[in-house]
Amino acid sequence: MGRQISMVMDLNKCIGCQSCTVACKTLWTSGEGMENILFNNVETKPGPGYPKNWEQVNGGFRNGQLQMPPLIDAKDYGGEKPLNFDEVYFEGKSDRLQQKGEMGYGANWDEDTSSGTYPNNYHFYLPRLCNHCTNPACLKACPTQAIYKREEDGIVVLDEDKCQGFRKCNQACPYKKVYFNFVTKKSTKCIFCFPRIEQGVAPACARQCPGRLRFVGFLDDENGPIHKLVYQWKVALPLHPEYGTEPNVFYVPPMLAASFDENGDFAENPRIPMSYLRYLFGEKVDEALITLLNEMERRKEGKKSELMDLLIAADWKQLFGIPIVKYA
Amino acid sequence: MSVSRRQFLTHSALAGAALALQHGDALADALTRPYRRIEDIWRKKWTWDRVAHGTHGTNCAGTCAFNVYIRNGVVWREEQQAEYERSGTPDVPDYGPRGCNKGLRHARYMYGKQRVLYPMKRVGKRGEGKWQRISWDQATREIAEKFIDVAVKHGPDSITLGSGTQLAVKMASYSALARFSNITGVTVPEFYSGVGDLPTGFYMTTGLTYLGDTMAAVFKSKCVLVWMANPAVTRIPDAHFFWEAKYNGTEVVTISPEFTPTAMHSSKWLNIKPGTDTALAMAMVHTIIEEKLYDAAYIREQTDLPFLVREDNGEFLRAEDLNLVDMLAVRENVFYLWDQKTRRIVRAPGTGAAEAPVGRRRRKFETIALGNIEPALEGRWTVETRTGKVTVTTVFALLRKRATEHSPEKMSTETGLNPKAMRTVAREFAKAGQRAMIYAGFSACKWLHGDILQRSMVLLCALTGATGHEGGGVQMANGPKSRGITSFAFAGVGAASRVVASTLWDYDHGKMKQLNEKIYGKKLADEFDSHYQHSLKEDWFPQYGKNGWKMGIFAGENGANWRASGNRWRTEAFEKLEMIVALVPDAGITMHHADIVLPIAHHYERADIMLQSRHPYVQVLDTAVKPLGEAVDDFEALRRISAAISTIAREKATPAIKDDVDGRTFRRDLKRTLELYTMDGAIRDSRDIVQFIINATPGIPKMSFAELAAKGIVRVDESRDSTVWNSDESPFHADIAESVHEKRPYETLTGRQQFYIDHEWFLKFDEALPVYHPPLKQKGYPLQMTMGHARHGIHSMWRDDSFLVSLQRGEPDIYVNPDDAAARKVRDGDLIEVFNDAGGFVCMAHLSAGIMPGTLYMYHGWDPTMFRGRQNFAAVIPTAGLVKPTSVAGDYGHLGYRVLAYAPNQTYRDFTCEFKLYSRGKVTAAKARIA
Repeated sequence: MGRQISMVMDLNKCIGCQSCTVACKTLWTSGEGMENILFNNVETKPGPGYPKNWEQVNGGFRNGQLQMPPLIDAKDYGGEKPLNFDEVYFEGKSDRLQQKGEMGYGANWDEDTSSGTYPNNYHFYLPRLCNHCTNPACLKACPTQAIYKREEDGIVVLDEDKCQGFRKCNQACPYKKVYFNFVTKKSTKCIFCFPRIEQGVAPACARQCPGRLRFVGFLDDENGPIHKLVYQWKVALPLHPEYGTEPNVFYVPPMLAASFDENGDFAENPRIPMSYLRYLFGEKVDEALITLLNEMERRKEGKKSELMDLLIAADWKQLFGIPIVKYA
Repeated sequence: MSVSRRQFLTHSALAGAALALQHGDALADALTRPYRRIEDIWRKKWTWDRVAHGTHGTNCAGTCAFNVYIRNGVVWREEQQAEYERSGTPDVPDYGPRGCNKGLRHARYMYGKQRVLYPMKRVGKRGEGKWQRISWDQATREIAEKFIDVAVKHGPDSITLGSGTQLAVKMASYSALARFSNITGVTVPEFYSGVGDLPTGFYMTTGLTYLGDTMAAVFKSKCVLVWMANPAVTRIPDAHFFWEAKYNGTEVVTISPEFTPTAMHSSKWLNIKPGTDTALAMAMVHTIIEEKLYDAAYIREQTDLPFLVREDNGEFLRAEDLNLVDMLAVRENVFYLWDQKTRRIVRAPGTGAAEAPVGRRRRKFETIALGNIEPALEGRWTVETRTGKVTVTTVFALLRKRATEHSPEKMSTETGLNPKAMRTVAREFAKAGQRAMIYAGFSACKWLHGDILQRSMVLLCALTGATGHEGGGVQMANGPKSRGITSFAFAGVGAASRVVASTLWDYDHGKMKQLNEKIYGKKLADEFDSHYQHSLKEDWFPQYGKNGWKMGIFAGENGANWRASGNRWRTEAFEKLEMIVALVPDAGITMHHADIVLPIAHHYERADIMLQSRHPYVQVLDTAVKPLGEAVDDFEALRRISAAISTIAREKATPAIKDDVDGRTFRRDLKRTLELYTMDGAIRDSRDIVQFIINATPGIPKMSFAELAAKGIVRVDESRDSTVWNSDESPFHADIAESVHEKRPYETLTGRQQFYIDHEWFLKFDEALPVYHPPLKQKGYPLQMTMGHARHGIHSMWRDDSFLVSLQRGEPDIYVNPDDAAARKVRDGDLIEVFNDAGGFVCMAHLSAGIMPGTLYMYHGWDPTMFRGRQNFAAVIPTAGLVKPTSVAGDYGHLGYRVLAYAPNQTYRDFTCEFKLYSRGKVTAAKARIA
C-alpha cells in the first residue's frame, strides 16, 4: 500500500464563508454541464446539505456489502443560473433582476438555518469534499474500472476517458461526492488538487481558506499536524465512519458558545446535543471533545498545550505538511 | 510587472528536482508509473500565461494580496499571494492567507453581464433601462455643457459629486475625485456619517474617530467583547484571530440579538434585545464600580472622572467660577481636581493652557501627567465661588450614581439578559485589565443613541485601564494619515472643497421633517427640527438648504440602494436632479436612473494602492488586463470631463465664478479645469498619482510604482514588535498610545478621555454621562428589524454575482424566527411582505431558530432591482430625518461640525415593522431533519 494524503478541518474555525467553494469552482468546475458540480461545498449542520438529504441515502458499505441506493434527483442539487442583466439593465424588457428559471434548491439553501429553540439553538458549518477513502465505494462500484487510487498519495481519481456514464459511482458514494456531468455524460469528482500537490502546493480549498482551518499532509508523517491530530491527540474524526469507506478527511468537532439555563444564565451543557455529534462523527467524539476542552482549560490557566499550539498554527504554513514531492 | 509562466515553471522544476534527490525512490516510482492521460488533462488545467498583483479596491478594509492569473488575454482566476508575516511576539498568528469568497469570485464577476462597457445615454424614461450607445466625446461634451450651465447659473454647489466606496477607498482613485471636487467647488457629500458609520461617540470621548490597532491585536486580548459586529461575516480574512485567541485562553464574548456566525464560535453569547446595548454596558459599569474592579490610577490620570462638577448646575467647576486673586490667571477651559494630599482644589494638568486651550497645539506642548497631585475619585467639598459657596463633587461620584440606576437587575428587563450573566461577563472583562478589548462594529452608529453606547464602550475600557495597551481598548478601525491624498487634492489650488454632512444635506433637501412627523409624531419632529435650526442659527453647523440639487455625478456610489427612507430620497431628492451622471463598472439601481453612464475600469484593470489598518502592508492594484470595452479608470474619466469643461468654457468664454465656501471666496475658472486637474499635464495617469501619494504619505516605504507592483505588498510599519499602531512613523494614527504612554492631552475639551459633557443640551437630555435611552418604536408594529453587512457581497458589490446568488436562495431573503413565522402562517421559503407606515417590500422568509422572537434580520446590499416593484428594505426604514439634537451641538471644545469627526449619522435601526404572507414558496421544506 502506498502513502495517503489527508486533510483535517477544524470546525471551530470554519465561518462558512464559502471561499473554498468558490476557489475550487473557479479552478476546476466552471465548464459546461458543471453548474451543479461542487467538488467542495460548505453546508449548515444540522440540515439537509448538498445534495439535499444526502445523509439519508445510505450508500457505502453495510456489513461489508456495497450498497447501491437510487440516484438523487437533479432538482435536489439545484445550481447556478444566470441572471437577466440584459433584460433589466440594458434592454428595458424586465422590471426585476432575477435568475433565469426557478432555483429550486441550492448548495447553501439552508445557510444559517439554526436548529433547536432560541436561545439554545445550534448550527455550524461543515465543509465537504471527496474523502479519498481507503475503501472507496465509488471505486468498488464502477463497472468499467474508471476509478483508481493513486499509489503515491492515495488520491482517488476518476478517469473520464474510461467512464461510460453508468453512474454506479454516483449511487455508491455515501457522501454524494461523485457528480455527473449531463453534457459530457461522464462522472467527475474532486482530485484533491493533485497537480498542485505534485508541485508542493496545497489544494486550492486549503491554501485559499482564509479561516486557516484546513491541515493537509501525509497521514503517516509522524511529525506532521495530521498524524498528531488524528492519531496522537485523537481530536480529528472521520465523518459518518459507519458508512464503512474509511475516509481520509477528518474533522475537529465543533464546540460552540456556552448554552443557557432556564433563567438565561450560562450553563455547562454543550450547545450541540451530543446525540447529533455522535451521529456525525461516531462515539469517539466524546473523548475528542473532552481532550479539546481540557487542553483549552490548561491554556487558559497559562499552561503549555501542544494541542492548542497545533490548532492555533501561528505560522500559516504549518497547516501544510506536504514535504514529499514525488515528481515535478 | 508580472511573473512569467516560464519563470514559475523553472522555480518549481528546480524545487521538484531538489526534492527528488532527497527521495530517490520517489523519482524511481514516478518513472515506472503507468502514463495516465487524464492526469495530464487535469495538470494542464492548472496553467496560465502570466501573473499580476492585485486586490479588490472596495470598502471591506480587507486589502488582501492576490496573484491574478491571466490566460489567453483574460483574467482566468485569482489566488492569494499569501506572503504575510506577523505583528508582535512570535506566538501571534501571521496575516496569511487573507481573501474571501467575493475576492475569489472576481475573475468571473468582472466578465459578468452586469458590466457597463460603453458610454450610454438614456433614451427611455428614467429607470426604464433603454439606452443609446454614445461616444466618449459626446458623453463628456453633454456632461460639460450641463456642468457649466448649472455652475454659472446656480453656483457649483448645486452640483453634487458623490464618490462611493466602490471607488473611493482606492487611494489614487479617491485622490483624483477629491482633486476634481476641490478645483470645481462641487458639493461632496460626506458619506462616513451618511451611511451611519461615523463613530461620534468615540470622538466625543477621545477626540478621535479612528480607534483601532491591527487585527492581530485581538490575539493579545484576554477578554474580547465582540459588540455590534459580526467579524465572521464582515471580516472574513481576519476572523481567524478570534478563534486562535480562544484557543490561546482568551474569553471571546459576542453580544448580539441573533446567533451570528461570530456568536457560534465564541466562548459566550449574550443574546441582547436589539438597541438595548447601552443598558448592558452601564450594567457592566455598575458591576465594575461596585466590586471595585477598576484601575484607579489609570482613570485618575487619563480620564475626566476625577474632575470636579458643581452640584448646583451640573457643570464642571471652571476657572471663571472662582474668586481668583490674580485675574490674569483666569483662562478658558481650566478644570479642577481635589488633591487628597493638600486637601484643596488644584488645576487639572494640561487644562487651561493660554496659547493652546484645545487641539493639536495643546497636545504638543502640554501634559496630563499628575505629578504630585493625588486626585480624589469621590467626595463632596465646598468651594468658594464668585457667587457664593458651592458644593462640588467628582464625575466619578456622579457616575457611581448613574451606574446604580443601571444595575444588572434594573437592566434585566430592558436587555432580556439574566443579571448573573451580565455580572459574569463584567467580571471577566474587568479581570482582563489592560487586555480587556471591545471589538466594535459600525452598527452602533446606526442607532439614534449609538453615540451613548460608544461612549460607554470607551468608559468600560477606561475603567479596566485597557485603552492604549496591546490587546486592550476599543477596536473599530484606524485610518491612514490623509496627508498623501490631501496634498494631491489641494496641490497648487489650496483647500477649496465643499464637503457636507450628507445626513443634513438629505434632511434639507428630502423634506425629512415631514417624514418625522408622519412616523415619529409632531413632538419629536418639532424638537429635532428646532435644535437643528438653532444649531444653524448659532453657526455650529453649516447651512446646506440654500441651493437645491440640480446635477448629480455618482462615482461608484449607489445612493439609491442604501439611503434610509429610500423611496422618499429617490423621489424627493434624487429624481429631482436635472442631470444624473453615473461613473460605474457595474450596473445597479443608481446607474439605472442615470441620464448618462460612463464605463469604469474594474479592480484588475487599473493601477492604484490600498492602505487599511488591519494589517501593516501597503497593497498594489496593478493593471492585469486592459479595461473591458471602452472603460477607463476614474482619473481618466474625470480627465476627459475636465477637458470637455475647459474646451467648452473657452468656446463660451465663461467668466470665472466667484464662489464662497464657508466664508472664504474662491475664483472658479472653469476654462482652467483641465490644467489644474492634471497639474499642467504632470499627472498623466493613475500611476503618477500613486507615485505622488507614496512620496507624500508618512510611513509608506519610498519606492517606485513598478517596484511596488513587482512585490504586490510591502510592509509599512517600522516597529514589528507590537500589534498596536504605536509609532508616529507609521502611516496610521498612534494618538491613543501617545496619550496613554507619553501623557499627551487628548483633543477633547478636558484634554482627557471625556465621559462628562456639560454642554447645556447634553444636560437637558440627561446625556451628560452615558445613559440608557430605549430605541424608538412605532405603535402597532411589534417587530424590530435589524440588518448587517453580508457574507456574499461588499455593500451592493458582488451581491448580484450569479454563483454567489446560487449559494444563497437565488433572491433576497430575510431571517425569521420559526414561532413568529408560525403565528403568521408563514413557512420557510414563502414570500412575505415586510411593512410599516413608511412602506413595504417583498422577500423570501428564511426560518432560523437563531433569530430572536420578535425580530427580523436581513443582510444588506441587495439591489432594489432584485425586489418586486423595485422596493428593497430601504422602503421600511423611515429614519432619515432623525437628526439627534446633541449630534448638532456646538461651541463646546471639540464638539461642533467637523468633517469625518462630528456630524449626525444617518441612522437605520430605530423603527419597527410587521410582516405577512405574500405568496407560498415553491420549494418544499427538507425531509425529516436529523436531531
